[in-house]
Amino acid sequence: MTSNLTLIFNKGTKRSQHNFIPEMDIDKVDLLEIIPSFFQREDLPLPDIPEVEIVRHYTELSRRNYGIDSGIYPLGSCTMKYNPKINEVIARLPAFSQIHPLQEENQGALELMHHLSEMLREITGMDGFTFQPAAGAHGELTGILIMKKYFENKNLKKNKILVPDSAHGTNPSSAKMAGFSIIEVRSNDMGEVPLDHIEFAMQQGDVAGIMLTNPNTLGIFDRQIKDITNIIHKYGGLCYYDGANLNPMLGICRPKDMGFDIVHLNLHKTFSTPHGGGGPGSGPVGVTKELISYLPDPSIIATEQGFVCREKTNNSIGRIKCFWGNFGVIIRAYAYILALGAEGLKRVGQISVLNANYLRVFLKEKYHLPYDRICQHEFVLSDRGIENNVTTEDIAKRILDYGLYAPTIYFPLIVKGAMMIEPTETESKASLDNFIDVMNNIYNEAKTNPELLKNAPLNTPVKRLDAVLAARNPILKE
Amino acid sequence: MDFILHDKETITEMLTSIGINSLEELFQDIPADLLLKKLNLPHGLSEPDLLRRLEELSRKNKIYSSSFLGAGCYYHYIPSLVDFVINLSGFYTAYTPYQAEASQGYLQAIYEYQTAITRLTQMDVANASMYDGSTALAEAAIMATVAAKKKKIILLEGIHPEYVEVVKTYCWGQDIHFEVVMEDALISKLDESVAAVLFQSPNFFGGIENITELVQKIRDKAPKCLIIQVMTDPTCLGVLKPPGKSDIDIFVAEGQSFGISPSFGGPGLGIFASKQKYLRKMPGRLIGKTNEINGEREGFILTLQTREQHIRREKATSNICTNQALCALASLIYLVSLGKTGLQEIALQNFQKSHYVKQKLATIPGYQILNKKPTYNEFLVKCPNVHELIEQCKQENLLPPLMISKYFPDMKDIILVCVTESNSREDIEKFIHAAEKASNKNIGGN
Ligand SMILES: Cc1ncc(COP(=O)(O)O)c(C=O)c1O
Repeated sequence: MTSNLTLIFNKGTKRSQHNFIPEMDIDKVDLLEIIPSFFQREDLPLPDIPEVEIVRHYTELSRRNYGIDSGIYPLGSCTMKYNPKINEVIARLPAFSQIHPLQEENQGALELMHHLSEMLREITGMDGFTFQPAAGAHGELTGILIMKKYFENKNLKKNKILVPDSAHGTNPSSAKMAGFSIIEVRSNDMGEVPLDHIEFAMQQGDVAGIMLTNPNTLGIFDRQIKDITNIIHKYGGLCYYDGANLNPMLGICRPKDMGFDIVHLNLHKTFSTPHGGGGPGSGPVGVTKELISYLPDPSIIATEQGFVCREKTNNSIGRIKCFWGNFGVIIRAYAYILALGAEGLKRVGQISVLNANYLRVFLKEKYHLPYDRICQHEFVLSDRGIENNVTTEDIAKRILDYGLYAPTIYFPLIVKGAMMIEPTETESKASLDNFIDVMNNIYNEAKTNPELLKNAPLNTPVKRLDAVLAARNPILKE
Repeated sequence: MDFILHDKETITEMLTSIGINSLEELFQDIPADLLLKKLNLPHGLSEPDLLRRLEELSRKNKIYSSSFLGAGCYYHYIPSLVDFVINLSGFYTAYTPYQAEASQGYLQAIYEYQTAITRLTQMDVANASMYDGSTALAEAAIMATVAAKKKKIILLEGIHPEYVEVVKTYCWGQDIHFEVVMEDALISKLDESVAAVLFQSPNFFGGIENITELVQKIRDKAPKCLIIQVMTDPTCLGVLKPPGKSDIDIFVAEGQSFGISPSFGGPGLGIFASKQKYLRKMPGRLIGKTNEINGEREGFILTLQTREQHIRREKATSNICTNQALCALASLIYLVSLGKTGLQEIALQNFQKSHYVKQKLATIPGYQILNKKPTYNEFLVKCPNVHELIEQCKQENLLPPLMISKYFPDMKDIILVCVTESNSREDIEKFIHAAEKASNKNIGGN
């Protein structure tokens, strides 16, 4: 035990006043006249802690946490780009942050969402959007429920869905929550989806369609994407696009043009809204014209009298979240797109890919690159050839010792000991060079001083933690 | 503005060093006919222009000097230090804490959040957050059907209508049978096939259930049925008996009241807590305490991840990945800022102030309070002239109460009034005055 671990609950000096409550300015009655005593609680085991103590405690905790403002955050598939500070100011404008979701005078909010939806339509090629989903996985569930409803309406029994083995875990999991069973598609040795497998599956008649991300989680753009979506469509299926990897496609190539019917975007990745240590996010879903009426209720429509909310549409899957979605996140994405404009967004696409390829080329000099070809926003290394039984985890932990954050590890599952690296466009060449140096140093350390890696990290607030113990004996509160 | 750091020369240098001739060549895998010719969006904006533009847009929304509207989203005072803390870079610019040793600050904070929620609710375990109250309720329903191995749930009338809709959508996804019943029909509907009963208290209309009695009735008839409670404004727990003391199996709530601004209804916070025995069926992330492998110190880490989608894929307990971490942090700071004394006082003021308004309205001709049960900060009122009341409120710069006909078209002339500690005496007098004027107009005019 060290002082590190003092929890806020143990920090209290006693304080006599509470600062955050207005003076009671009406005449009170006996509480028992309002609520009987057996409805009331006996005790409330929360401490009273002075403001100064709270601020110091959390300032210290924030120092013990790496963020994109600390340096490169190369988590593959997570698009950890810089979060512009102006967006924080804008989201806190009182006439955005203090408005109620059920108030009538809401034209600014509706216009914002309507305009953002128009811009996302241009970026993706899709025809209509909903902003209700709160994150990527929530968007996936929404999108797959749209598929379900679509086939229910056609009276077709299609209860299976194709998901490549390289897909993110949320894909199969979301499909399952929408009632589908999953057919896993094995990627070929180029990291792409084999057409004959898809064709065979679609011939069975009970497959609703496919969930894909393109570029996929290996960072590879599937060159046969149009053939894939054509096959699915030939058999009456629908194609779902997991937009978590949209960043490199900005201004370059659009999911609709690839042949997708439904997409979700992660505003908390591609459109720079802060990830907040795990959320909140926003996962708007876009669809083609044929599917617009399936989007969740309510929808926003532009009329001569202004923007109005339509409560129910006939085919809609229903509500997927209370109120309008994560509006505070939506504002930030809107501001980001307006700030960058057409040229800026295209530049994001290009430079994110340049940065990834720059790292790829220099890192593959030492590390094994199982899919050795040009990549888009990210690429995946493996631990093959690392000496002395040093593992991917050891390498990741050692990266922390150099004051940087580690890549996504052990994902995608199709690469053994995967290290998935996505630098994003907001890293300088110097930062990328530094990352390469660090990785090369670590490679050499694995040869000459493997214990250093196996015991890593040493320069962090705690040394390597025991995950097995945590799961075996869960301590989840104090 | 594009936040890119390379100048032209650097780009050329980088391209050359990796043997690529142009930026276009980086996209060689994309078939030519799929390449976008032109992105039809406006030019980028400078920071001042952007700010001006969005300030203008925001002004098309109205902000009022005081609110009498709740219905799932509430105005409570937010201590300044909440925003200060969630704006610290180490928190808001971090990703999910996959690398525990470089994320101890966040992990500890969320561990503290889990602790604060279990203390407040007296439930055994709380997760690191869900998207919001409505999706937390839907996930609780699904979790109950898995735990009970039955595919039927019953919702007690009085749950927020939008929450009901969300639960319905999720249940349809998984072929879970779903029924909303009135309170007096509940017991007759209960049998062996029911996985769970879901109820809201304080309910959508403001009424606080006699939970002890309700739970007893359900347990007597269907002992294996899980009981799920939801609430939309958990500040009431400053005074009310916590769910953990009423034998509730799963407790969920919308946590927006704890230090999160209304922000047009999102982001909020899905609070999710349960009995220990359901731990391994729980959706969402959990932070646990552990030790260094080769050391003395304790630390925090994401745990029981074998429930989650990145490990279990379609066998996971839920598809949730990104949650509402920063909102959970905000609510933690809110709870520790107010502390025991403050939270009790908040709840007391909400009880007292809404009671005051209730009593006053009841004395104005034409108004009738419809709640039979005790209420917290919301209650139902039948009005002599709803539209006039709404109009009078707006003239006084007060955000008017909800016309309940929005959700229940048959319930005409009825409003759901919300009074919190954020309404000053002056606001309250204005509101009562508006109600009087509406009443006079009705009696005088028609
Ligand atoms: C490829 C991919 N799909 C889906 C998701 C899920 O998105 P979210 O975490 O917002 O639910 C992620 C994010 O981790 C992802 O990387």
